[in-house]
Amino acid sequence: MNEYIKIFFIILQRDLTLVFRNKAEFINPLMFFVIVIILFPLAFGSDATLLKQLTSGIIWVTALLATVLSLETIFRTDFEDGSIEQLILARYPLTLMVSAKVTAHWIIFGLPLIFIAVLTGFILSLSSQTMFALFFTLLLSTPVLSLIGAITVALTIGLRGGMLLSLLILPLYMPVLIFSMLAVQNATAGQSISAEIYFLAGILVLALTLAPITTAAALRIRLS
Amino acid sequence: MALFKVNNLQCVRRDNILFQGLSFKLEDGGLLQIDGVNGSGKSSLLQMCIGLIQITEGNISWNQTDIRDCRYQFQTDMTYFGHTNGVKTGLTALENMKVMHALSGFKSEVDYSLILKQIGLAGMDDVLLSRMSAGQKRRVGLTRIFMASSKLWLLDEPFNALDKNGKKIIEQLIVSHCKAGGMVIFATHQTMEIDGYPLQHIHLG
Repeated sequence: MNEYIKIFFIILQRDLTLVFRNKAEFINPLMFFVIVIILFPLAFGSDATLLKQLTSGIIWVTALLATVLSLETIFRTDFEDGSIEQLILARYPLTLMVSAKVTAHWIIFGLPLIFIAVLTGFILSLSSQTMFALFFTLLLSTPVLSLIGAITVALTIGLRGGMLLSLLILPLYMPVLIFSMLAVQNATAGQSISAEIYFLAGILVLALTLAPITTAAALRIRLS
Repeated sequence: MALFKVNNLQCVRRDNILFQGLSFKLEDGGLLQIDGVNGSGKSSLLQMCIGLIQITEGNISWNQTDIRDCRYQFQTDMTYFGHTNGVKTGLTALENMKVMHALSGFKSEVDYSLILKQIGLAGMDDVLLSRMSAGQKRRVGLTRIFMASSKLWLLDEPFNALDKNGKKIIEQLIVSHCKAGGMVIFATHQTMEIDGYPLQHIHLG
């Protein structure tokens, strides 16, 4: 068991080191996120009440798009340089190593995304309850985005284009988006958001348990 | 006594039969070269042998057990080195070796610097792989055969991108591994210069 934890952290550290040496890879999707959000006030004009209604939705949809852009980095280089074969042939369960890689993706992308989202919400003058809901929904959802994303990336890696990836993945993100936006709307109206938060937490637990197994199976299929 | 046995194997890729009815076996000290023209299925055969590609017809066994039924044991006993190096160019030689050692199960105590010296990269521990030449990267990838101390090595074009000296080092490693009772299967179309060691041959295509 101890050995398994050790392997988990070795793979995690490997992926984090790689990303910090190639910073563009993780900064670019985050920059995309910020820029697209800034485009909306430019397009809609400076009508404050209209913007207030739209901002949380804009932040959420843009977060989904930025996630799709960032997903390929989970497996692309491993696929190109043959590391993925070595992970499959290692003496440890592939599920474990896939979990480590997805965790790395969340730390690199999901975590900064939450803070940037809250920061942009602040700049676009969201109310404090809305920001609170935004923060919590993103905190529970970004791991789900990475986990479900990993399955789809594993299936499509090496095939042509990221377009297929976005077509496959965005429908899978809908439940998360629906519950998150419900929570944000309730919070804005001053109501309780616990029901939606429980639902999102449930989805997270489900994804956390099943997604790594599915991703491992998808990788094996992709390579055979 | 270990035994690696391939029985009546068939390989179909993209609706083409690459080979069929292929059988061979390898015992302790066995050295097998697979050759054939490009696209004849050398790499596919190796990938079937390690269980990466699904077997459609025939079977492969390790110590009398089908490799699909003893995946974990088999993966513990063998090391595969593909036509890609399986190393990260963003990491240094030492970092890559540490990951390889971890993935191989920390089986033996290893001296990383000594291994690099043996493979002809003395003193390059902290050099990023992106700053190395193709041959040097290949050598770093090959260090995984030191980490695992496995019984069976499967090497896909191990001499690619290697210079004369590098090729010689690998040839010597292969022979000494076989002399110590190990088994090696490798695919290459280059001629091997092995004096006085019996070499089995399989020609595909």
